[in-house]
Amino acid sequence: MVIDLNLLLPEIFTGLLGVGLLVLFFLWRGEGVVRAIGYLAAVGLAVAAVLAYGTVALDTSTLQGTWLADPLAGYFKVVFLLSGVMVALLSLSYLERLGESLAEFFILLVFLTLSMMVVISAGDLITLYLALEFQVITFAIMIGYRRREGAATEAALKYILLNAFSSAILLFGLSLLFGLSGTVDISGIAAAVSAGSPQPALYLAVIFVLAGLAFKVSLVPFHMWTPDVYQGAPTPITGFLAAGSKAAGFALLIRLFLTIFAPVSTVWTTVFVVLSVLTIILGNFVAVPQTNMKRLLAYASVGSAGYMIMGLIAADVTGVEGVLFYAFMNVLAILGAFGVAVVFANATGRDDIEAYAGLSKRSPLLALVMLLSTLSIAGIPGLAGFVAKFVIFWAIIDKGLVALALLGVVMSIVAVFYFLRIAKVMYVFEPKEETPIRVAPAARIVLVASMVLTLVLGIYPAPLLDLAREVALAVLR
Amino acid sequence: MEGFFDVGLYLILGAAFPLIAVGFAALLRPSNPDPDKLSIYECGVDPYGDARVRFHIRYYIFALMFVIFDVETVFMYPWAALFKDLGAFALVEMLIFIGLLVLALIYAWKERVLRWI
Repeated sequence: MVIDLNLLLPEIFTGLLGVGLLVLFFLWRGEGVVRAIGYLAAVGLAVAAVLAYGTVALDTSTLQGTWLADPLAGYFKVVFLLSGVMVALLSLSYLERLGESLAEFFILLVFLTLSMMVVISAGDLITLYLALEFQVITFAIMIGYRRREGAATEAALKYILLNAFSSAILLFGLSLLFGLSGTVDISGIAAAVSAGSPQPALYLAVIFVLAGLAFKVSLVPFHMWTPDVYQGAPTPITGFLAAGSKAAGFALLIRLFLTIFAPVSTVWTTVFVVLSVLTIILGNFVAVPQTNMKRLLAYASVGSAGYMIMGLIAADVTGVEGVLFYAFMNVLAILGAFGVAVVFANATGRDDIEAYAGLSKRSPLLALVMLLSTLSIAGIPGLAGFVAKFVIFWAIIDKGLVALALLGVVMSIVAVFYFLRIAKVMYVFEPKEETPIRVAPAARIVLVASMVLTLVLGIYPAPLLDLAREVALAVLR
Repeated sequence: MEGFFDVGLYLILGAAFPLIAVGFAALLRPSNPDPDKLSIYECGVDPYGDARVRFHIRYYIFALMFVIFDVETVFMYPWAALFKDLGAFALVEMLIFIGLLVLALIYAWKERVLRWI
């Protein structure tokens, strides 16, 4: 058995980072240890992102197929690690509101990022399932981190119960796959499935896996947990849920549906079209009357999943390219918007949209980042979100689903409406308090970086699109 | 469609089996309830108190600590059985695994979890 540990380099590094930070925490229990661990976590994850970028070009596997190092895994690892860096930096300006055990927060964050990386590199169903559970349990701890607050505990409980439920459904689907093919190896299952004629049990497996994963990416009608959990969780973790966890879910959808389930694509394409229509309509319309910023962004993020799934409906290179680009741009835009919410909540202790009145006068940077991030999510031309939606619409129009694309455009206009309402609150309304809001350096880096990248990718998306296209070509080969 | 018939049959059989088993038992068995029979079974001792007693959190924490070493043992049995074939690599692997668990134990110790509060 030959084991190429180089393929696991980003994971080994991230794991050692987590363990190292824990050891550091044993040895040094002084003032400033929390901030040091926070910054070290951010820097370490950034280094891991560079290492992961080096694996994008690889297309191989090790540990007898258990571990995949292919472009899809490499690309999404960069996405996860980048959102991990941003969340770590944002958490540094949220410490006052997190309460206790702050050093552990960052250590858990490192392991959380690691869990997502294992999810996408898993080459067999057992590793995949264990990594998913690793992710869910770590997320549940972090969602309920402010354990003295009722809302946080409620959110953590809802998250763990609904994820246990969806995991059971997913596991049932996976066990059917094992029963059909006699192997847990993803490529083995794909070969067995495409060799025989489709059986009803395979359709059943498709539906169960689809339902299980739809919970994780919160497609309507599996989105029920999203608003409550997003609202109750500490805001940086909400951002990580909406950016990283969602990307992980879509990475898995791409991995499973475009390989194992490709022979029965007629079955799941129809289901995905229905889910996509429901998701973009409900997500965007229910966002309109929201009065809490985190709930509004939660519904907007539900809507985003509806757009991303369109790329899978197209199931071709352009579609996958669109999903990959969308996942990256979503990290920037969602973490930009939640970053503003983090800084704002830390300064004022409030999450309701009313409190944002006159934000442009209290902190022009916060207002501008919020404006550009939300408009990017809505898909205004000139921002990264537009390119993502454009590529995805292009892909499904190419497949003849013009009506679905049209619906997507109309719902984007709804999104522009509720996001411009926030802009009006921030820019037109008079502030109730005049005190300027101080933006800590760590958060400033995240906010400015997300804003600049959103603008750059909106105007000059070619480099990332090229990379996404190469990855998409490798996925569909 | 033949395959769907199998799935349907499986569903029907799955639902029917527990219904028949419990239903038949209900028809056949004699039914003379008395207070002693209806009382909750608690290892032969007369049950007392409320079922919803609050256990102290320390039991839960010790159970959690136990799980660490429980899982470790589960992994060590197959490892020990195959150790001769796997060689030095497996030894290093297991040492890393145990090392991580020891770190977790040190963490628990530092957090004063091991103290009986």
